[in-house]
Amino acid sequence: MPKTSLELLHGTVAVLILKTLTWGPMHGYDISRSIRQRSDGALGLEDAALYQALHRLERKDWIEAEWGLSENNRRAKFYRLTVEGKRQLQAELSSWQAYVEAVSKVLEVETA
Amino acid sequence: MRTPPRIPGRRLFRFPWRTAAQVATDVDEELQFHLDKVAQELAEEGWLPEAARAEALRRFGDLEGTRKYCRELDRSKETRMKWTHTLEALGQDIRFAVRQLWKSPGFTLVVVLTLALAMGATTSIFSVVHGILLRPLPFNEPDRLVRVFPQSNGEEGTFSYPNFRDWRAQSRTVTQAASAHAGSINLTGEGGEPERLIGMWVNAEFFSILGVRPLAGRWFAAGEDRPGGPAVVVISEELWERRYGRDPGLVGRAISLGGRPYTVIGVVDREEKFPEYAEVWIPLGFTNENLEERASVYLAALARLAPGATLEEARSEAKVIADRLARQYPGANKGLGIGLEPLQDSLVGEVRTELLVLLGAVLFVLLIACVNVANLLLVRSTAREGEVAVRSALGAGPGRIVRQLLTESLILALAGGAAGIGLAVWATKALVAVAPSQIPRIEEVGVDAPVLLFALAITLATGLLSGLAPAVQAARPNLVGALKEGARGSRSRAATRARNVLVVGEIALAVMLLAGAGLLLRSFARLQNVDLGFQTENVLKFHITLPETRYDEDAKLRAFVDGLTERLEALPEVETAGAAYYSLPLVGGVNVWSFTIDGRPPVPEGQEDVMRAGVATPGFLRALGISIARGRAFDERDREGSTQVAVLNEAAASRFFPGEDPLGKRLVLGTNDDGSPNQFEIVGIFRDIKQNTLQEEIEPQMLLPYAQAPLASLAVVVRTRSDPAAMTAAAAAQVREIDPDLPIYAVRTMEEVVAMSAAQPKFSMLLLGGFAAIALVLAAVGIYGVIAYAVRQRAQEIGIRMALGATRTRVLRMVVRQGLTLAVLGALLGLVGALFATRGMRSLLYEVSAADPAIYVLVALVLVLVAAVASYLPARRASRTEPQLALRGEA
Repeated sequence: MPKTSLELLHGTVAVLILKTLTWGPMHGYDISRSIRQRSDGALGLEDAALYQALHRLERKDWIEAEWGLSENNRRAKFYRLTVEGKRQLQAELSSWQAYVEAVSKVLEVETA
Repeated sequence: MRTPPRIPGRRLFRFPWRTAAQVATDVDEELQFHLDKVAQELAEEGWLPEAARAEALRRFGDLEGTRKYCRELDRSKETRMKWTHTLEALGQDIRFAVRQLWKSPGFTLVVVLTLALAMGATTSIFSVVHGILLRPLPFNEPDRLVRVFPQSNGEEGTFSYPNFRDWRAQSRTVTQAASAHAGSINLTGEGGEPERLIGMWVNAEFFSILGVRPLAGRWFAAGEDRPGGPAVVVISEELWERRYGRDPGLVGRAISLGGRPYTVIGVVDREEKFPEYAEVWIPLGFTNENLEERASVYLAALARLAPGATLEEARSEAKVIADRLARQYPGANKGLGIGLEPLQDSLVGEVRTELLVLLGAVLFVLLIACVNVANLLLVRSTAREGEVAVRSALGAGPGRIVRQLLTESLILALAGGAAGIGLAVWATKALVAVAPSQIPRIEEVGVDAPVLLFALAITLATGLLSGLAPAVQAARPNLVGALKEGARGSRSRAATRARNVLVVGEIALAVMLLAGAGLLLRSFARLQNVDLGFQTENVLKFHITLPETRYDEDAKLRAFVDGLTERLEALPEVETAGAAYYSLPLVGGVNVWSFTIDGRPPVPEGQEDVMRAGVATPGFLRALGISIARGRAFDERDREGSTQVAVLNEAAASRFFPGEDPLGKRLVLGTNDDGSPNQFEIVGIFRDIKQNTLQEEIEPQMLLPYAQAPLASLAVVVRTRSDPAAMTAAAAAQVREIDPDLPIYAVRTMEEVVAMSAAQPKFSMLLLGGFAAIALVLAAVGIYGVIAYAVRQRAQEIGIRMALGATRTRVLRMVVRQGLTLAVLGALLGLVGALFATRGMRSLLYEVSAADPAIYVLVALVLVLVAAVASYLPARRASRTEPQLALRGEA
């Protein structure tokens, strides 16, 4: 895959993971693919960063993991949101919204 | 497309904790899964398998770093979870335990009170033991400080200056050594009334050896202790405060001691002074004549062990030096030995046994309390068999049940311990306040950090000790039986046996304590009834020391004593008054003179007999009511110049004149100035009077008339017609009128003097008696508890018996017999234990054998009686059982 993806802002990985997990429990590979697909390949999340973020979030109790079986019956580690994680996601989303709006306003004025 | 993950419910039950290796494997497996999936995806896009795997790795990024990072995070999460889980479980146990205890407030209150009482008593006794025996002295490296003393024939003595100096010069195992002797001296002038101070005459090294700093000023400089050195003094913080209001300008100023000016050079911190009773420290300033007098012994010595030297090495070295000195100076040093002991041991020497006996006793009380609580818990756990069985059936493992029950007993112990510490703070203050002042270091006693640590330790030990038996008992569940029978005990036979064993043990401990207390009580009663040989009612005593600077002739001493006696006897409240030197009973101090008897074959020099000697005025004998057995007392006719006379006590008469009449015989006490023998004719025998202590045996003693042997140090006694203590001011005024610079000191009624010499035995007796009383009550409660419980358990059986015609008396007898069996068994065990345990307190007993049969029998009877009453109460209840109700299980 060519390297045309946008560089991710620090801290955004966490929101992306949390958001992705709202669709249901997933293992790391699915999360990675899901993010890539939903952003139409624009957001290239490096696997190393994804897994480090997953374990970080798990340590913070925002997500929790269980071992389960993947589609072809291999043991895989599934993550899901905790209550704490859901709350965190809400908070991040609203501040993200405010941020985007503020930045957009500035940019719109300049391009006008 | 994919199976929904199965989320196992492992968190709801037991969480299998992962090891570090498992955590690592999990991370590896997770990452490998990802890499395989990516490689598979690529292969589907047409990559060759080799290339796909390589590409997957490349796309992943920093694999090793991530692996490490994730393992680290997971491990820390795992650790945290373990902790949270443990704390949660503990929290659960605690909440549950508190709820359970709250539900039975009566039980909880009894247990907490029992434990508080026992732990409070134990903690406060420990605070005394710690403050006196264990706490290090407030000096630099106090464990390196030793007391050094000469000894011959096992008797400890004091050093002469030459012996001290030679030992010091030859010893390689000590770095510093101090010599000192105690005395007292009059302080007059600035700051208040004249007063008598206890002083230490010390060498220049004395303070530097202790390694303490002066509160103000400086210590003695090297050489200040030489003969004819400067008149300088170090004073105590208390004296500085009391008399001079902590005036910083006092250092460098002169104060008047014994009629001479001494410049104050330093002040000793009250926490660091040594010895604790001294108020002034004065350089030894040896006079040239006794400097080289090897037979003149008066110095105590203190030394600091050299770095690396052990006490044993110092002892064996001292033996070598002592042998050498004995060979070198066979005259003065015959049989000389030199001993060393840790300074701390030497300070507390006499009270050690007493304190250890008390600590042992109070630990017994604690043990009894533990047994009692264990018993109550056992009864309770039997009653809770059903609950425990239900919990076991629901999956609680035996570990969990034990933990739950131990949590309960620990909470009880902690509550008891907390209340106990409160009690101990109060009790320790009370103890210090009522403790006899002779106990060394008593004012340093308090509930401090080490004592609190001890309290915590005994609290935990108590919790475990009292909770263990019931917990283990409960953890061996017989599920089927317990569930089937409901709350009625299935293991009751084992539990009953356990309770019986505990009660027997408890009674045995109580008997041992009672026996100890009984022995002390009997010993104290003996002391109280001891024949003093003199009368104590309405007698006041005080001391005066006439400074030798002004009272330098015998005539002046006689004039003072005659004048004072006359003035005192002129007071309307005074019946008679007198003065004496080393004759006043029970105030300490020994004066021994060697003598020969005129007309007997001559004795080689140094092998003369010795006896206690005192000097007294005729009024002294009358005031104390000392009675004459034969002959006459000396009186006003025995003056200077008339025939010199002496009276002996009965002990002296029988020791030195067996089968002879001592009256008319003459004692020879050295020689007169002209070389003629200094003779005293024995004119009377007086009945033995107590000497230094109430306990000791009477030694031979002679008394000489003051007029014929005047001395400067006086004890004055006044027999009054009314309250003798009220005479103090009037007596002091009379002394001041003769000489305004004379302090009177150690003013006490003779009744107080006698009470003080019995104070220490009384203190131990009261404490031990108190502990024994607590033990007795606890044991009674224990017996009552067990019997009451047994009666409840046997209600049905009793009902059947009564239905079958057993009379109330019969039931009563049956139950009481059960209690008595336990009591008799416990009492027998206790008596055997007491025979061994009371051996340790032999030195505290006066005219009572440690195996006194009367006390033992009495104690056993008391216990059996108490046991009878304690079992009678539940027995009476049992005998009133209505058979109907009992049979239906409703009684």
